[in-house]
Amino acid sequence: MNYELTTIIGLGSIYLILLFGIAFITDRGWIPDKIVHHPVTYVLSLGVFASVWAYYTSVGNAQRDGYGYLANSIGISLAFLFSPLLLKPILALTRTYQLSSLADLIAFRYRSPWAGTATTLVILVGVTPLIALQIRAISDTAEILSPNASQGTLAFGFCILITLFSILFGTSQGAVRGRHDGLMMAIAFESLVKLLAFLAVGVFAIYSGFGGLGELNQWLQEQPELLFELKEAALFSSFHVFSLLFFSAAVAMPHMFYVTFNGNHGQRALAFASWGLPLYFLLISLPVLPILWAGLQSGSAVQVEYFPVVIGVAYGAPLITVLAYVGGLSAASGLIIVITLALSNMCLNHLILPIYQPTARDDIYRWLLWKRRALITAVIWLGFLFHYLLDQRTSIEIIGTIAFTACLQFFPGIIAILYWPQANKKGFIGGLIAGVLIWFIFLMLPIFVESSPLSLVSINWREVAALSLIVNTILFVAISLWSTTTDEERSSADICALDTIKRRKRSGLLAKSPDEFITSLSKPLGKKTATREVTQAMKDLGITTDNRRPYDLRLLRGKLEANLSGLLGPSIAGKIIDGYLPYSIVSRHGSSDLNVIENRIEAYRSNLSGMAADLDNLRRYHRQILLDLPLGVCSLSSDNEIVMWNHALTEFTGIKDADIVGSQVEDLKQPWLSLLRNFMDEDANHSYKYNFELNGQNKSVNLHKAVIERSAEQDSSHEGVIILIEDITETEILEAGLTHSERLASIGRLAAGVAHEIGNPITGIACLAQTIRDEFESDELNNLAQQIIEQTNRTSKILQSLVNFAHADTNKSHYKNEIVSIVDCINEAQVLISLDKKSKDLSFQLDADPAARILGDSQRLIQVLVNLISNARDASRSGGKINLQASIEGNQVRITITDEGVGIPAAIKDRIFDPFFTTKEAGEGTGLGLSLVFSIVEDLHGDIDIISPHGNAKSAGTQVILRFPRFQSELEIDDQDQETSSQHTV
Amino acid sequence: MYIPRPLLILLVIIYLLFLLSVDWINQPGGAWYRPFWVGLLIIAVGSWAHREQDSDEL
Repeated sequence: MNYELTTIIGLGSIYLILLFGIAFITDRGWIPDKIVHHPVTYVLSLGVFASVWAYYTSVGNAQRDGYGYLANSIGISLAFLFSPLLLKPILALTRTYQLSSLADLIAFRYRSPWAGTATTLVILVGVTPLIALQIRAISDTAEILSPNASQGTLAFGFCILITLFSILFGTSQGAVRGRHDGLMMAIAFESLVKLLAFLAVGVFAIYSGFGGLGELNQWLQEQPELLFELKEAALFSSFHVFSLLFFSAAVAMPHMFYVTFNGNHGQRALAFASWGLPLYFLLISLPVLPILWAGLQSGSAVQVEYFPVVIGVAYGAPLITVLAYVGGLSAASGLIIVITLALSNMCLNHLILPIYQPTARDDIYRWLLWKRRALITAVIWLGFLFHYLLDQRTSIEIIGTIAFTACLQFFPGIIAILYWPQANKKGFIGGLIAGVLIWFIFLMLPIFVESSPLSLVSINWREVAALSLIVNTILFVAISLWSTTTDEERSSADICALDTIKRRKRSGLLAKSPDEFITSLSKPLGKKTATREVTQAMKDLGITTDNRRPYDLRLLRGKLEANLSGLLGPSIAGKIIDGYLPYSIVSRHGSSDLNVIENRIEAYRSNLSGMAADLDNLRRYHRQILLDLPLGVCSLSSDNEIVMWNHALTEFTGIKDADIVGSQVEDLKQPWLSLLRNFMDEDANHSYKYNFELNGQNKSVNLHKAVIERSAEQDSSHEGVIILIEDITETEILEAGLTHSERLASIGRLAAGVAHEIGNPITGIACLAQTIRDEFESDELNNLAQQIIEQTNRTSKILQSLVNFAHADTNKSHYKNEIVSIVDCINEAQVLISLDKKSKDLSFQLDADPAARILGDSQRLIQVLVNLISNARDASRSGGKINLQASIEGNQVRITITDEGVGIPAAIKDRIFDPFFTTKEAGEGTGLGLSLVFSIVEDLHGDIDIISPHGNAKSAGTQVILRFPRFQSELEIDDQDQETSSQHTV
Repeated sequence: MYIPRPLLILLVIIYLLFLLSVDWINQPGGAWYRPFWVGLLIIAVGSWAHREQDSDEL
């Protein structure tokens, strides 16, 4: 069963075009986001790890190591099953700091471009055999299908094809900007294809090779040596070392790092992959044994590794052969595409950019694009060169093992990132060089130098792997312990270490606005690129151009660094940002952004237990006290940045805490800026009754401040000022009312005293005048005596008014509490008014409900009505009309006295209830009438309103409205209830 | 170092399963796919340990 070379190449081309088509339509948004971002898609894209190694090499491994072939699946599965220990924290780091490769992570943690460069070089050299392995497997299987074709030609053709497609994948706009959806979707598709193809070949092997599962088991019983090798070999083979290799490969292999961390859409996807990926590897490992046994039974002389393709040929099933070949092509092409993209980024960021950077005049994006294309090509053809130089006798298992062992050298460095803050770059580079040297001398070199005494045949690679790892680790630890660690390294270790709250310096920036960011970054990046990057970062954060809030500017700086890190790598990005967007004052060690710490602790809360949880509860309790305090609390840092703004202050000022926290005091609007700024400038720590105007209303506040001194005992210092703002506006109003009442009471007491003192002499004068009038017969004398008597009577009346006013609030016990008919009271008041000789020619219109009754003293109500009607009379013109109304309004009785007089001028409205205030001529009124009315109405549990002018027309008179609680007998209440219930029934 | 409780349970179960299943898998007459049953069981426990919870996005 032979295939034409053109068929093989055509098949490969169509498949790669299909992959690219999937990536293209994904990037265009034609595939719904819920599919693209689904955790299943993520798991399938992680299936890129199941390369030619899992597809072909595992069959050979199964024959040699028995169940040991599962080490591949077990190693990677353990890494994902225990993802919270390794992958999850690294994911958080890579997402926060936009670290796109292991070299970025290493350079970031060890604060050394050299560490990044060393990592890139080792990965480049170490992974090249893996690329060569894919090329070898594809050319070998193609040669099986088309024996007439030259293996070299096949490998060359495959490399040309894969170079073209890798460039297309890797230099699309989405990939350059760090978006990987299209690529991830294509890789997920290829993983699905290879899984389905491999399962189909496995099922075919069982049913075509043996006739079914039962027959396979029966056949196995007849081949006890196969079962023996399967079960016994595992215990003594390279199972454990392989497991460790594949465990570390989950992070150390560039393609796995790329997909695991760059293709991730959140912790949820990783949690799903933590069991989804092991399931994928379980499924892809399942057909290996049936394929091996079917191949053995067929008696094929082809390499065991290629049995998946061979059994289709052996059992006469061309479709299965093609399917198996496409599965293998999927496995190889997927890995090569991802690995070259990852390596090209690493080489660009850590080998090229540190030496040569584009100038501000260059189009940086175009420059990067072309460099990336060149690097993709170089990496693939480096793999081809390795493949070309390899001896054909070198098995693909050995080639793969060399690659995975190289990446094992990063294992100590990766573990130290999260779990050993003392590790430093010297230790890392020293250990790495030692481990890589051992690897190169004992594994890499022998496959090229046949005559070397270190021939591959004589070397146990497991011992080499273990030796290189041990030497690497010992040197790493020893050098790290004995050498000095820089502050930068310590700071990075602090950020990376597990369970450490990530801290950022809280300090002002020299650039004070997004525009100044653009101006500063234009120097290294050029105006166009700087504008584009700053605009993109602002868009990501939702920041507007007029935003000058320090907190937001710090976030913008961090986002810019992260975005540039994705573009140029963390070393170059950090250099640009530190150089062109520096902090104005570098905060001391330990000084940090309290808001960021708060947010981090908040997010980490459910992870806290024991004493840490108790401390957190205590912290929350204290914080809540400050937030819920009924006083306004505002905390300021030493550089006048607002750190806390509690709920009471939000309510009082109308400024939300989310809008103001992180701003400078100067960003506050008036009058708060003046209020706080003036108070902060004062020496005194307390300021009482500070008055200011807010929205046209007078406000009064007490201010208190406390300077937070830096603690000498603590490393961290958050010195600043805390200001308490106490709104006393309401208290001021109450105090004013109380003072007014006190004044009235004093006047009352004074009036009573005066009345008492004057009353007695007046009585004496009146008696003497009466005696003169009665004893002497002179008309003139009588006339004078009569005048004296009239004047003393008038004085007595005034004094009586004073006494009544003074006693208005006292001696209430002698007042009656009777049922008072409003109609009767109005009538009586009307009669009393009409007796007055000053009564004008007025008409009274009475409209009163006879049922209107209240509980109280009728004489006092009459006094109220007489006073009010008398005022109405005095204000009315002759011939005018006074309306007297009494009505029932629910549980109240409403009395209105409306005149058509001159009304009350607006200027004196507020004073009409003040004692001794009158507009009447001297001697006409005492100014106590309305004060007395007010006092009596309050005693009767009523209220009084005065509307003037009343009605629409000008000078339409005055209306006085009195409201009292209505009195109802029990009978009336029952009747009312019945009426209400009957209305409800209707 | 904080280790989520379900992860500790998973670790213990994997260890116990390994101890208990080695002999069962290597029994001379045992089916060849026995390791896959063990693997499936571990994955089931893993799916429980990584079930959706309130994530702590650090």
